[in-house]
Amino acid sequence: MATERVAKATGVRLFWATMWARAYPRMVGTFRERSWLFFETLLPVLAVSGYVFIYRAIQAPPAYTGFAVLGGAMTAFWLNVLWSMASQLYWDKDQGNLEIYVLAPGPLMAVLLGMAVGGMVMTGTRAAAILVICSWLFDVSYQVAQPLWLVAAFVLTMAALYGMGMLFASVFLVSGREAWHLSNLLQEPIYLVSGFYFPVKALGFWVATFASIIPLTLGLDAMRQLIFAGDSGLGFLPVPVELAVQLVLAVVFITAAYFALAKLEQIGREQGRLIERRR
Amino acid sequence: MSETPAIFTQNLGRVYKLRGPKKKGDPKTIVALTDINLTVARGELFGLLGPNGAGKTTLIKILTTLLLPTTGTARVLGWDVVHQAQEIRRRISMVSGGETSGYGLLTVEENLWMFARFYGLDSTIARQRIGEMLEVVGLADRRRSKISDLSTGLRQKMNFIRGFITDPDVVFLDEPTLGLDVTAARQVREFVREWMQAHPDRTVLLTTHYMAEADELCDRLAIIDKGRLLALDTPTHLKQRLRREAVFTLRVAPLGRRPLRREDMLEAVPGVRQVTVAEQDGATEIKLILDSEDALAGVLDHIHRRGSGLIALEKREPTLEDVFIDLVGRGLDVDTSVRAEEGD
Amino acid sequence: MALARRVFDAPRVRRHDGLRSFLVAAWLGWQIESNWADPFLFAVYTIARPLASVLILVVMYAVITDSAFGQPIFPYIYLGNALYILVGQVITGVSWAVIDDREHYRVAKYLHTAPIDGYAYLFGRGVARLLIGTISVLIVIAFGMVLFRLPIRLDTVDWPLFLFSTALGVAALAGLGAIMGAWTMTMARHFWSVGEAVAGALYLFSGAIFPLDLLPAWLRPLGFALPVTYWLEAARRALLGPQAHGFPTLAGLTNAQLLGILAAFAVVLLVSSRLFYGRALHAAKERGLIDIETGY
Repeated sequence: MATERVAKATGVRLFWATMWARAYPRMVGTFRERSWLFFETLLPVLAVSGYVFIYRAIQAPPAYTGFAVLGGAMTAFWLNVLWSMASQLYWDKDQGNLEIYVLAPGPLMAVLLGMAVGGMVMTGTRAAAILVICSWLFDVSYQVAQPLWLVAAFVLTMAALYGMGMLFASVFLVSGREAWHLSNLLQEPIYLVSGFYFPVKALGFWVATFASIIPLTLGLDAMRQLIFAGDSGLGFLPVPVELAVQLVLAVVFITAAYFALAKLEQIGREQGRLIERRR
Repeated sequence: MSETPAIFTQNLGRVYKLRGPKKKGDPKTIVALTDINLTVARGELFGLLGPNGAGKTTLIKILTTLLLPTTGTARVLGWDVVHQAQEIRRRISMVSGGETSGYGLLTVEENLWMFARFYGLDSTIARQRIGEMLEVVGLADRRRSKISDLSTGLRQKMNFIRGFITDPDVVFLDEPTLGLDVTAARQVREFVREWMQAHPDRTVLLTTHYMAEADELCDRLAIIDKGRLLALDTPTHLKQRLRREAVFTLRVAPLGRRPLRREDMLEAVPGVRQVTVAEQDGATEIKLILDSEDALAGVLDHIHRRGSGLIALEKREPTLEDVFIDLVGRGLDVDTSVRAEEGD
Repeated sequence: MALARRVFDAPRVRRHDGLRSFLVAAWLGWQIESNWADPFLFAVYTIARPLASVLILVVMYAVITDSAFGQPIFPYIYLGNALYILVGQVITGVSWAVIDDREHYRVAKYLHTAPIDGYAYLFGRGVARLLIGTISVLIVIAFGMVLFRLPIRLDTVDWPLFLFSTALGVAALAGLGAIMGAWTMTMARHFWSVGEAVAGALYLFSGAIFPLDLLPAWLRPLGFALPVTYWLEAARRALLGPQAHGFPTLAGLTNAQLLGILAAFAVVLLVSSRLFYGRALHAAKERGLIDIETGY
């Protein structure tokens, strides 16, 4: 048996190693377990189709088809944040992995970030598949006038969204099965107030403003304005304003997650919630 | 720094608040640990022996920074478990027996690699060490199996390796052989022993409720029951405590029902300190700790009066089990976790 | 616990594995579904999700039609969506128990070694969700009547048609749920429950939120092959009266014909689910999947 000491990274290198180690299962999961093709692509495509047909039934202008398709693709990210970020630590606790995460010197923030990065890669494939299939099925045409702005809108939305997911995850660290139900609760109501299937402007200024705390609200609105340039009159706020808000949200959520994680780990240790298994 | 003990606790205690619906009069808290004072030197293989619910796991969770104590202090390698958790985490690892953690979709190698990275091991070195360790424990041929395809025993073995790959200074093994078959349990014990021999400056804290395991492995032992430390010494010294007393195993014809009145019980015979009785193969086996051999005549007379008769009698060396029975008043197979107190 | 005692001790149920399994599972399902949080959160959960999903459609409708809630298509969409809640709840209620027992409570191996009828057990586990779903449906419909003036008058509702068609519809859906549950026994855990997933998929083809005629002609037969299509039509007719006849898809069928078709679906699905359950259980045992734990 080898007796020499093994070098261990610390600081930024440990953070980096931990992050990619946690992202790894997410990324390989895409290839190992193929049933997601059915669950996470075909089913959302069917759901989006439902909304498209409703628009057709009430004779909506064709642009709305594109709105619904884009919103439908972005639901993949919201579901990923709810189920694979927010409530993931609860599953991990259940499987006995959480103890090992907490016990390891790799920062929990890096574990969360790894989950986020893995989740984004994993979900990106699903969202792209939904977008491509639905666009082809319903003959959606896109007019991207400012591609760089679009990239910025997407990146900032992802940063803010997964920052929020990290904050949720840290809160759920001390919760039990409630996490699962809260994730359930945050599905349809958020589809509604964030305007996943219609321009959020339709909900009125105050509701839309309130809903802007969910990064996908303004993110989707900005992307719709940038992708369907001809229908920009349906946007809630000017794109630069929306992106600035996204940037602020990203910073706030990630910072809040950092502090919440430290605080809640402390509470978890005090109350014995990191080690409990409630079934 | 080398003077610093691996583990040090002072008046350590932990009380859990009980959650869930309660009726009036139901206990609100449960005391898991009370006034634990312990010093484990570096290089020791230290055992915590106690029945289920004695507080062994709570103590391990506190020492591994997963749980905060409610009273007292605890230090690992000189670092405080409450305020310096991160320093401790770099230097320790923990393996719980019966554990099935890990991601079912990942292979054995991938799971171990992932955990090694959480400790900051270089990717290549991690893979190399994983390969070596898998070889040592005989799991090399399953390195590319998804862990969802592994048997419970193999999954446990994988988790066991996880605890050693990261080159820890202190390893906490919580019932490491729980649920393993005899061969696998022996392999685990051999591994621990060899690892300690190869790394004389490292420390292992092991909890178990298997007496033989504790006797075989540990340099020193603490006996813990109902959250309290009852004794702390080397296995030899612990057993020597009973040297002056007489320890016997008697095999008698079935004794029948336990008498209702205390004065009719075997325990009431003058000179009898502790008794355990077990029915075995149509006979009754009695383990006795007597103040002196003189008390034996009274015991035999008692057995005779209850209509039984002696089949075999053996005077033997005290075992750890006898020590435990002498200290606690009962065998190890009794769950003592229900110990609740009013108020919080 | 008093309920539990009555269920466990009732002498007549001791003789029937099926009934005993069903009753105990129903009790268990209710404990699980109703005990997880305080009543406030429970109410939010039961009300908020269904209301939000119908309000998405209401807003879409309002944006395009300038809030013309008096058009016949509006009650068609609203009621279809409201009643559809039961579809998800029944299918999920029956099938999710497989994942929950296997991966969360980890009792699958004990259930499968106990002298219970696993098939009846699944139906029992679905009862709680059926009750919760029913409450949601009633709330959503009441909400629509008050806020959007849905043209439902309680004194003109054809109650026998409504209740009978719903009973047959629920039986057919439970059969479908059992098939999904059986299928789940051989599958990994996903955050999607199979029940919700299948309910989501059928949403498109059952004329729940838009008349089937809008679908491409080659997809319509799928809608006609689903029991939900007929149940929704019968329930709409019962609740809305003549207003429900504004859409031609199933106008050629009488109420009795609708009920007959539904009854046939219920029988076929219940029988085939029993057979499918047996096969899936065998496959799960053969492949060692009864108590597998997945996750990534």
